[in-house]
Order: sequence, then structure tokens, then C-alpha cells
Amino acid sequence: MSRPAKTHKVKMMEQQLAKKLTRQVVGSLVGCVHCGMCNDACHYVLAFPDDPKMTPSYKADQLRKLFKANFDWTGKAIPWWVGADKAPLTDDDLEVIKDISFGTCTNCRRCTLSCPMGVDTATLNRIMRGLLSHVGVMPEGVRVVSKDQWELGNQMGVLKEDYVDTLEWMSEELEEDLGHGEAAIPVDKAGAKIMYCINPREVKYDPRTIKEAALIFWAAGESWTMPSEGWDNTNFGLFSGDDGLGGVSARREYDKARQLGVEKIVISECGHGFRSTRCEGVNWAGEQQPVPMESAVMTMLRFIKEGRIKVDPTRNPERVTFHDSCNNARSCGFYEEPRELLKLVTMDFQEMYPNRAENYCCTGGGGAMSMSEYTPRRLESAKVKADQIRATGAKVVVTSCHNCVDGLSDLIKHYGLGCEVKQLVNLVANALVLDEVKEPEAVPAPAEIEVAPVAVASPLAGRKILVVDDEDDVRLFLTTVFEDAGAQVLTASDGDTAVAVAREHQPDLISLDLSMPGKDGVETFVELRRTPETEEIPVCVVTGHPEFRQVIYDRPVAPPEGYLGKPVDEDKLVAYAHHIIEHREAKVH
Amino acid sequence: MHDVSPALHTAEIIHWIALAVMAVVYSLRIRWLLSFNLARDRSVPGNPAQSNAKKGARHSLFNVAMPWSMESTRSRKGFGFYLSFVVFHLGVVAGIALAFVSTIAPDVLRIPAVATTMLALIVGAFLVALYRIARRLLRPLMRLISTPDDYFSLIMLTVWFGLGACTQAHLIGAWGMTSEAILIAYLYLTSFFLLYVPFSKISHYLYYPFTRIYIGRALGHRGSYPVVRGEEA
Ligand code: SF4
Ligand code: SF4
Repeated sequence: MSRPAKTHKVKMMEQQLAKKLTRQVVGSLVGCVHCGMCNDACHYVLAFPDDPKMTPSYKADQLRKLFKANFDWTGKAIPWWVGADKAPLTDDDLEVIKDISFGTCTNCRRCTLSCPMGVDTATLNRIMRGLLSHVGVMPEGVRVVSKDQWELGNQMGVLKEDYVDTLEWMSEELEEDLGHGEAAIPVDKAGAKIMYCINPREVKYDPRTIKEAALIFWAAGESWTMPSEGWDNTNFGLFSGDDGLGGVSARREYDKARQLGVEKIVISECGHGFRSTRCEGVNWAGEQQPVPMESAVMTMLRFIKEGRIKVDPTRNPERVTFHDSCNNARSCGFYEEPRELLKLVTMDFQEMYPNRAENYCCTGGGGAMSMSEYTPRRLESAKVKADQIRATGAKVVVTSCHNCVDGLSDLIKHYGLGCEVKQLVNLVANALVLDEVKEPEAVPAPAEIEVAPVAVASPLAGRKILVVDDEDDVRLFLTTVFEDAGAQVLTASDGDTAVAVAREHQPDLISLDLSMPGKDGVETFVELRRTPETEEIPVCVVTGHPEFRQVIYDRPVAPPEGYLGKPVDEDKLVAYAHHIIEHREAKVH
Repeated sequence: MHDVSPALHTAEIIHWIALAVMAVVYSLRIRWLLSFNLARDRSVPGNPAQSNAKKGARHSLFNVAMPWSMESTRSRKGFGFYLSFVVFHLGVVAGIALAFVSTIAPDVLRIPAVATTMLALIVGAFLVALYRIARRLLRPLMRLISTPDDYFSLIMLTVWFGLGACTQAHLIGAWGMTSEAILIAYLYLTSFFLLYVPFSKISHYLYYPFTRIYIGRALGHRGSYPVVRGEEA
């Protein structure tokens, strides 16, 4: 049977591959002896022992075949002898490879440590992703996130005004907590010593970490700033294999640091952000140490060691364990500092095994959280991680990576582990001893900013909130929380009712569940945005399915104003609702 | 040179020619590998207190002699595989030595200690090779990643080990191996083996120092290799 002709995309991939062939890459391509010793290192193999396609060498072979067919002596002369006859030819072949490359490997690099030949399978898989991305073959989530990072400078499509607004919001909260405005977050402060770069997830889903970092910087008396641009320490080029995007994203941070004249970039707790900014970014951008860089973990540790901040570990009495991010530990050798810091701010640290460079992936790595089509497989593959966590008996899993926070939260829920995930910044902030802090109630409020007691107790007084959730108990919980905060609450248990109620009552905010029978939350959301009477009503998504996050942000309508994962923290929910409504009003006026 | 029959003499000459050809092709192979750019990591050393590029490269190069260094060879199952790997590769060394020494100083192979060791190594490797064939044929995942070259290389080595054991037996007059044809066949097969290797997966040993040094240097530079393990609970 004659083989089909090579498509244009395949030819483009072959040309692109030629540019990726360094000596190290070729070594990994020709060095594999197909011995299978790397199998058991991979969490996908452990979860699917009967599926041979999960074996790391099979994944790397996708690139190897392409290489052999075009660059290897034997492969060019007798392709079938070395498997080069199975190299992709058609666009359908590329779709199959896309699912292998993006859907069965998190590029965690664990298998490399178990390969007697030193084959770097994750690097080969990343190259394959890059070739596919080069010809536009990639999961939708990867495409959207890459586009956002290219166009908006951050991978979650956060607009500059929303970013700045969040920093202001956090500054206001700090002022409320401390009773003074000295801890306000400086933006674009030229000549500051430190430029603090964050993960856009912090702006979008977890601004508390920004506030906590600001509190720590202030307590240490550090000269620091956050940049108005080039603030995203993450880099989707690492996941998509696009070195061009990698270089542009990294250079945005370096350029901003040079423009502000800072001494150092401090990278908030993010594994792939640390690897991209500190380790790989310079290679992609072709720069030689543009400015010193370190993780916020190292900064916090130094603050304690230098006596610039005091911590009280008894404030974190619960048993904690530590999950090493693959990017931090395996690819950057960064694993002792978080342990050292953890032991200073907690009372009961329990090591997880295996750990450090041999730790298992959280299974949310390699951009997996943005590829919802692979979620069921990802959660299955997380069994080994769940077993690792369960064995520690810890109530809190600490990690220095935002991506891992999402991956771990997801698997903890899936496997019913009953623990929560925290980052070191949360624990350090909680353990922080502020000698001079004035308790809010002890601060006599100036008459002109005195707040009526009813307003303090009822931050949502006078507001109308529509709660949409198909689960009775969740609806009841959310209703109670909002009513306790002074809001008038309307409810709907399905999408159609939600749209009808919203049109009729024009609430100040809609709290929307995503997973509902019939018209689901995503469809409901799109309809609300497309209906003239409801399009301006702010929506806060409240869901137990983090994997839907990307789906909703991918819709061709304005994204939701807020996003919260279940289980919801009551205070956080009220604070979010309050902030979203205030923010919307400020915009309107 | 020792006294040999014309047929054996021809086999010996072909064998040495094959060796020369292999050396040339190997040099070309290495030249080919070196023709690709060596990527340099521009990042500053990740954690010099833990490791560096040199330390990582050194440790990685000798990884083959440290079964405790990898999870895949540290576990009980993995250690068994490691032992079989050692036996297999020692058998290859013994088989090649047998081919060359038999052409220049066959008497050395008749020294009892040498003869027993050679026979034990080659027979051991033969048994491991049989196990490897079964493993490659029976395990679905091994079948999935195997190419005709993988099967052929393994089968050829298995036959080569078998013939090598018979050759060693012939040299010491054991197992009723009296015909010189065994030695001649062994030399021809070795010649083929030498010519085939540079074009097959068997050339991996040529790449081993490169791939190991590259990965060790890369991870050592970042500070994550050699691997540090927290004490087990
Ligand atoms: S990648 Fe390494 S361990 Fe895995 S099959 Fe290839 S040579 Fe063996
Ligand atoms: S890099 Fe990680 S996920 Fe990918 S094959 Fe290797 S062990 Fe499996």
C-alpha cells in the first residue's frame, strides 16, 4: 500500500526540527536503546500499567521517528528498519501526536533520572510540542494562553488596569489590617532594590498572596516595587515549546528590571515561573545574566536569617508536608531552601517520599491545567501523588508553585484527601510577628473616615446578589454567607432561570456555578454576556471544577469578573463580592 | 601469527578489515554528532553549594557503575535488571576479546582461569539475551517501542553469544566442539557484527559518554544532580 504524501505542515515541522538539533538533543535522539527502564518513573505509566502508550520512550519516539526519517543514516536508507517509516506524514498523524505530546506527558523530566543513557525525554517532548505549535496544532487552551501571553504580556489575559486595580485593592486591605498606609504596594518605583514579579493566577484567583508578600516586604523594611509591565514571571513558551514566545516573555521582565534600575528580580512562588525567568529565559532571550534573580522563598529565608523579620512557628501548628515542584527541584536544583524556611515557620513538618529531584509531578505541570480535554487522564495519573500525600498524614500540603497549587487542589478533591494546599508566603505571613502592629480595633479612626458599624458588619448591605447553583446545600450556604454580609439574595438552580431572574431583577452580582445539568454554567455565562439587559452585570464564577476555568476564559465574550474554587472561604467570598461590585461601580462612574 | 588453515586465515583477515571499517565509520559517526552545535546554558549556576556542571558530568559518566544512583536500578526489581545488564555487557566485552585474542594469541584463551571466565561470561550473557528476547516479545510496552533493528540486534547478539560459547569450548576442546568451522563462523559473524553496529542501536555505547556528560553537566549546573535524597521514613 502506498503511503500518503507528506503535508505542508509536516514539511514545515521537518524544517523547524533542523533548527532545534543541538548536540545534546541529537544525543538524546540517538541514545535511546528502548530498554524500558524509564517506565516506572512516569506517573502516567503507574496509573495506566496496561497502556503501553504511556511509556516515556514511546512519547519521545514520536520525535525520534521524524528525526530518523530526515537526519539519521539508517533511517534515511532503510526507514522501516529503525521505525522511521512511522514518522508523521498527514495532518491526521499530527493530531494523534498532539494528544500524545500534550496529553500524556507533563514534561516533568522524572524519567530522565531513571534512564541509564541519560536521555532527556521531557526536552524531546517539549521540542515536539514546539514543532506542533509552529504549525498551529495544539490544544485550544494552549493556543488561547499563548495568544494572551504574546498579545497582553501575561498568560491569563489580565488587563493592565485590572492588574493595577488589584494591587490597589490589596494595598487598601493592608491599610485596613495595619491601620496605616505604609505597607502600600509600590508600583514602578525606580531605583528600588527588588522588582517583584508574580504569576497572573495571583491577580485572578489568589490576590491574598500579593498582599502577604507586600506585608513581608514591608515588615522587612525592604526597598521593593512591582512593575506595571513585565510583571508576569510565568512563561507559556516553556509548555508550548515555543522558544520565541519564551524569549519575548522573559525579555519583558528583564527590560523592565533594567528600566527601573533594580538590583534584583524576585520571583513569587511559581515553579515554571522560576525556571522560565531564572534558568531558561536567558537562553531563549539570548541574554547573559541580565539582572540577578531569586525566588521569593530565598528572599523570605534571608529576611529571617538576617533578623529583618520575626516569625512565630506556633502560629502554624498543623502537620505540613512539602511538595517539590518539578521545575524548581529537578530542573533548577532548588529544594533545600523551602525546607529550611518551612522548618522555621511551622511546628510539624513531615517529609514526603520520594522527594526533591525525585519527587513525582503534581500532574498539573507542563500546562496540563489549561488543557481541560485531558483532565480525566490527568486526575487518574495523580494517584501516585495522592498516595504520597496520604502517607504523610499531613493536613496541609505546602508547595512553592502556583501551578502545583491548582494541580494538588484538584487531586486532593478527586481523591478525597481532606487537606488543603498552601504556599510558603501564606505560612510566613501567618507566622509573622509584627511588634509595632496596631490592632485595627485599637486604632482610633479619624472622624472623616469612620465607618458606620452596620457597614463594617454588613459589607454587602443594600446589594442584590443572584446565587446560581444546582446543589441545594451549596445554594443555601452561599445565600447564608451573602445574607449575613447584608445582601439581598435571589437564587436560581439552573441556567434558564438564572438568565430570567437576572433580566428581571438586575442584581449587582451573579455568583455562578459552572457544572449544572441542562444548560451548564458556561452556556449560561455566555448567554448572560450576550443578553443586552444582563451583559454588564458582574459575574463571579464559584465552581468545584478548576479544569473548567480555561473553558470559560476561552469564550468569545468578556471574562468573568471573579473566580473562586469550592470549597469557598466565607471571608474571601464576601471580600471578593464586595470588591467586584465596588470595582464595577468605580468603572461605571 | 599462529599456524592456521587457509579458511580460518581468510576469516581472520576479513575480521580485521571489518574492524578497520568499523573504526572509520565510528569516527564518521562521532564527527556527525559533533557537527551539531553544543548548546550552552547561559543561566548562572543554580546552586553551587549543591553541585556544579563538572561534578554533575563526572557523576553522570560513572552512573553505570552506581546502581544506587537511579531509582530504576535501586529497587529490587531494578537491581535484578541491573545485574542482568552487567552480565550482558561483560559478555559483549568477553565475546569481542574472544574474537581478537583467538586470532593473535589463542593459547591465552586456553589458560584454565581465562577459559572458565570467558565461558562463564559468554554463557551468562547468552542466558540474559534469551531473557531479553522474551521480555521484548512478551511485554506489550516493549513490543510497542521495538523496531526491527531492536529485535535483529538482540537476536544477532544472542546467536553471537551462543556461537562464542561454542568457540571458547572449541578452543579448550570441551563440549565435543572439534570442528574449526565453529571458530570460522564466529569470526564471520563478529565481522558482520562490527560492520552492522555503527548503523544500529548497538552503537549506543559510542554515544554513552556524550549523552551522560551532557545531562550530568546540564543538571549539575542547575544544582539538581547528583540527586540528593531525603532520608527514608
Ligand atoms: S529513554 Fe532511556 S530508559 Fe527509556 S527506553 Fe530509552 S534508553 Fe531506556
Ligand atoms: S517527562 Fe514526566 S510525564 Fe513525561 S514521560 Fe517523563 S516521567 Fe512521564
